[in-house]
Amino acid sequence: MFELQEDDIEKLSKLCHIECTEKEKKKLRQNLSEILTYAAQLQEINTEGVAPCNSVLENRKNSLREDEIGDLLPRETFLNNAPSHTGGMIRVPPVIKF
Amino acid sequence: MYQLSANAIRDLILKGEISALTMVQTCLKRIAHHDKEVGAFLSLCAERAVEKAEKVDAKRKKGEPLGKLAGVPIAIKDNIHVEGLISTCGSRFLSNYRAPFSSTVVELLEQEDAIIIGKTNLDEFAMGSTTENSAYQVTKNPWDLSCTPGGSSGGSAAAVSARLVPLALGSDTGGSIRQPAALTGVVGFKPTYGRVSRFGLVAYGSSLDQIGPLAASVADTALIMEIIGRHCSRDATSITAPSENYGKQLLQGLQGVTIGLPTSFIQDLSKEAKANFMQAVDLLKSLGCTTVEIDLSLLKQSIAVYYILATAEASTNLARFDGIRYGIRSERAKTLDEVYEFSKQEGFGPEVKSRILLGTYVLSAGFQEAYYRKAQKVRTLIMKQFASAFANCQIIAMPVSPFPAFPIGSFQDPLQMYLQDIYTIAANLAGLPAISVPSGFSQDQKPYGLQLLGPQMHDGAVLHTAYHYEQATTFSQIPPRFNNEVLG
Amino acid sequence: MSNLHEWEPVIGLEVHIQLNTKSKMFSSAPNRFGDEPNTNIGVVCTGQPGSLPVINKEAVRKAVQFGCAVGAEIALVSTFDRKSYFYPDSPRNFQITQFENPIILGGSIETAVGEEIKTFQIHHAHLEDDAGMLKHFTSFAGVDYNRAGVPLIEIVSEPCMHSAADAVAYANAIKAIMEYLNASDCNMEEGSLRCDCNISIRKRGEKQLRNKIEIKNMNSFRNMEMAIEAEIERQIALYTHDPDAIIPKGTYRFDLEKKETVLMRLKEEAEDYRYFPEPDLPPLLLSLSFVEEIKKTLPELPKQRFHRYIEELQISPYSASLLLNDKPLCDYFEEALAHTSNPRLLCNWVTVEFVGRLKDSGKTMGSSGIPPNHLAELVSLIEKGTITGKIAKLVADEMVLAPGKSPNAIVQENPDYQPVSDSGAIEKIVDEVLQENPQSIADFQAKKTKAYTYLMGQAMKKSRGKADPSILNAILTKKLESL
Repeated sequence: MFELQEDDIEKLSKLCHIECTEKEKKKLRQNLSEILTYAAQLQEINTEGVAPCNSVLENRKNSLREDEIGDLLPRETFLNNAPSHTGGMIRVPPVIKF
Repeated sequence: MYQLSANAIRDLILKGEISALTMVQTCLKRIAHHDKEVGAFLSLCAERAVEKAEKVDAKRKKGEPLGKLAGVPIAIKDNIHVEGLISTCGSRFLSNYRAPFSSTVVELLEQEDAIIIGKTNLDEFAMGSTTENSAYQVTKNPWDLSCTPGGSSGGSAAAVSARLVPLALGSDTGGSIRQPAALTGVVGFKPTYGRVSRFGLVAYGSSLDQIGPLAASVADTALIMEIIGRHCSRDATSITAPSENYGKQLLQGLQGVTIGLPTSFIQDLSKEAKANFMQAVDLLKSLGCTTVEIDLSLLKQSIAVYYILATAEASTNLARFDGIRYGIRSERAKTLDEVYEFSKQEGFGPEVKSRILLGTYVLSAGFQEAYYRKAQKVRTLIMKQFASAFANCQIIAMPVSPFPAFPIGSFQDPLQMYLQDIYTIAANLAGLPAISVPSGFSQDQKPYGLQLLGPQMHDGAVLHTAYHYEQATTFSQIPPRFNNEVLG
Repeated sequence: MSNLHEWEPVIGLEVHIQLNTKSKMFSSAPNRFGDEPNTNIGVVCTGQPGSLPVINKEAVRKAVQFGCAVGAEIALVSTFDRKSYFYPDSPRNFQITQFENPIILGGSIETAVGEEIKTFQIHHAHLEDDAGMLKHFTSFAGVDYNRAGVPLIEIVSEPCMHSAADAVAYANAIKAIMEYLNASDCNMEEGSLRCDCNISIRKRGEKQLRNKIEIKNMNSFRNMEMAIEAEIERQIALYTHDPDAIIPKGTYRFDLEKKETVLMRLKEEAEDYRYFPEPDLPPLLLSLSFVEEIKKTLPELPKQRFHRYIEELQISPYSASLLLNDKPLCDYFEEALAHTSNPRLLCNWVTVEFVGRLKDSGKTMGSSGIPPNHLAELVSLIEKGTITGKIAKLVADEMVLAPGKSPNAIVQENPDYQPVSDSGAIEKIVDEVLQENPQSIADFQAKKTKAYTYLMGQAMKKSRGKADPSILNAILTKKLESL
């Protein structure tokens, strides 16, 4: 049985930026460990020399666009869905300057 | 009227024998009366539907040309955008999200004068096989209200099954159209990957997702596929081949079709399920098909491959739900980190959180090679195995679900739930067209479905074989019993 | 600079350049700077659920042009990847970039660093989309997605530069190429050109590279130069103080007031971006004929002009690079070139005399109102000896004050500018000078060469700079020899 540690769940939830309760973390640890154990069966399949499938489409053709302007999203429509906005901008708590 | 097919409705409207408005009003009445029990719809757009119906009727009176779906009411899964309507995706996170644009499929349907009636329930962000993961409500199976309709397109399947609408759209990432179709006794079709545009479908597993129809007949399925199965310039994975006339293809004879049977792969079916499957195969043989053994043993790896790839893609697709630009933002949040962490905590259900964490794990440094890259390679092998199989047959037949509809609350263990997808997932991994068509009933009157798959771009062939099978049976003509008290 | 014979700086640059396409990299929202917040947006660049990226053809073309211009290998198959990180200016919390299979591989930049011609190697260049902008206020921050989705080409050099001068020359050369291709505005203040530096130092002769740090957010080449120099000093001081020191990897910014690099954050663990192939974009396939077509139709590049200037026109590498690094100035020069027979002299007048005069007013040659052929005319007046170098400077002053007035007209209108070629008048001046400077005559006869120059200078002064130098020279020499 492959087991994730509490630490692993802690790190993962930080990486995903999701705050999980202790109860949730426990369940996640259990479920994810079970799934990963199951997924380990893939290791037994011989994939030497096999290319990863990055695109399932069999007929590969470029699908590019012309450099033209179109399909603008009006600011009002955009901001209508925003939890908080000011001066035409999305408003967020103060951020450490990068 | 509620038993009419989409084709029939359109014909009546074209002839002027019924009005689109009457059609819509009847539909809304039935929903008002029955959906309390079924819970298929999350929201209705009655005003919008009435407006569209009136426009269709006006066009007809003026003698203007009408579209192929004129006056036909249609339900849309709530992860597919209709501009101006809320798309919840079955999640708390998007409870207030008004779609700023319509999906390509909705634009195409409305161009053909179809009438959107409402948005249907689903597992949150399409993650699930029972629709129980919806943050809003439980949808019941019209055949047995104590059972789930399957998922994730459970709402769409239930709506068509209960004949609340003749047509619905769903999405299929690992079986989410086919499995609920089988469990509710309707036809569900997943097109070749890229055949139908994903623009406007809220992404779950980008290399696996496809939008597809649910209907009470293969003919209606073919009709809607003619309309939505075309190139879209706003989706770079959209196939450039021209759209096809599937309706015409249905009418060709069935002689000469060889059907591949992966016998060893379906050994673990229950006695009843196996009997149902074999009965379907026998019927196909009697219609002139030949069968041949094929080897699909690698498909045993499908679930592992799927849950690595789909969750990896989903973990990035759902990263955008962060409380910043749209959706809910936690009121507790004071700092930026808290906006992210609390909004996601409050907005996502447990299954979604689980898949996001899993997806992040399999992509993270040190593990990506062993999980993600490995799964990508096995996916190639699965595609190759299908290709070998299709060298010897035109269509592959498989069951859809190991069990018919099961009681709400049956699965506590996610992994046990995942294992139910064993027959449907591979078609998504290989991008193949696949259909579920009603194939009979269990001992306790719950539907079974037969699954037919074809090589990429052979959507027409799959529909064709399914059509002939359907025509030789009466299963899809039987609506659920509870429907008997009807309002016109 | 201390100890550079002992320590060798090793510098690599990552240059991000916004391509000047009409629409964004993956969507058709407008690519424009300076408009009201969130007015140049679409569903893709605001990360709306259900939106999908579609590649802009023109961005690909410009990237291939750049690749051809630097002699790089163009990848006929390149792919895009998702790079995950959370920040409010990222509409999806992942950037679409090219990590595994970039479109441009290798390539080199040849440019002058001072008078030396050097070649710098490029590791690769790739396409990606830019993030939005955060505006910081005291109690909140505002996010504007106008810039989100703008096409970027990121050019990564090999760690092959060894001084601030190298880095600035390299960056200037890249800027010049982009301008000549008309692929970008290359405006550092507006952010269409951004440079990040990676710097480490090592003992001369040492083969291994030591830990490097990154400097970001330098908004001019001058600042970049100062930042690099300051950082080199800092690292040298650190290692000198403690020879076993290990410099922790981190990201720094340059403090203009203190003239030092300042730590912004340490890179304790490398951030895990979890790169994986972008499932919404199939591989980008380019044909050989497409690439050949682009190679054939490239406009004249800075490198070609550079070689033309130093080989055919005998202009010094340093002066040539001054011209090349400023495309509008260079284009002006090219126009003037058509009317002159002395490119070297013209170059000097354009790059030193006139540019110097225009500095304070902030004008460029292009906006000065002085037509290029006037520059050529001035140069030809000097060449013919019609005016002296000294007078030419005064004429230049007037040309700046009254742009559009030709040098010929200016000279004609002012008798003071007209050269004195009357031998009689000049002889009179020479006589006066010789009379006033008996010591110089003695010095001249004592073979002290400085005396001659002094006498010439005095005579020129007496003539208020108008004496024709060759006539004056002839007369003075004759008179001195006859004494």
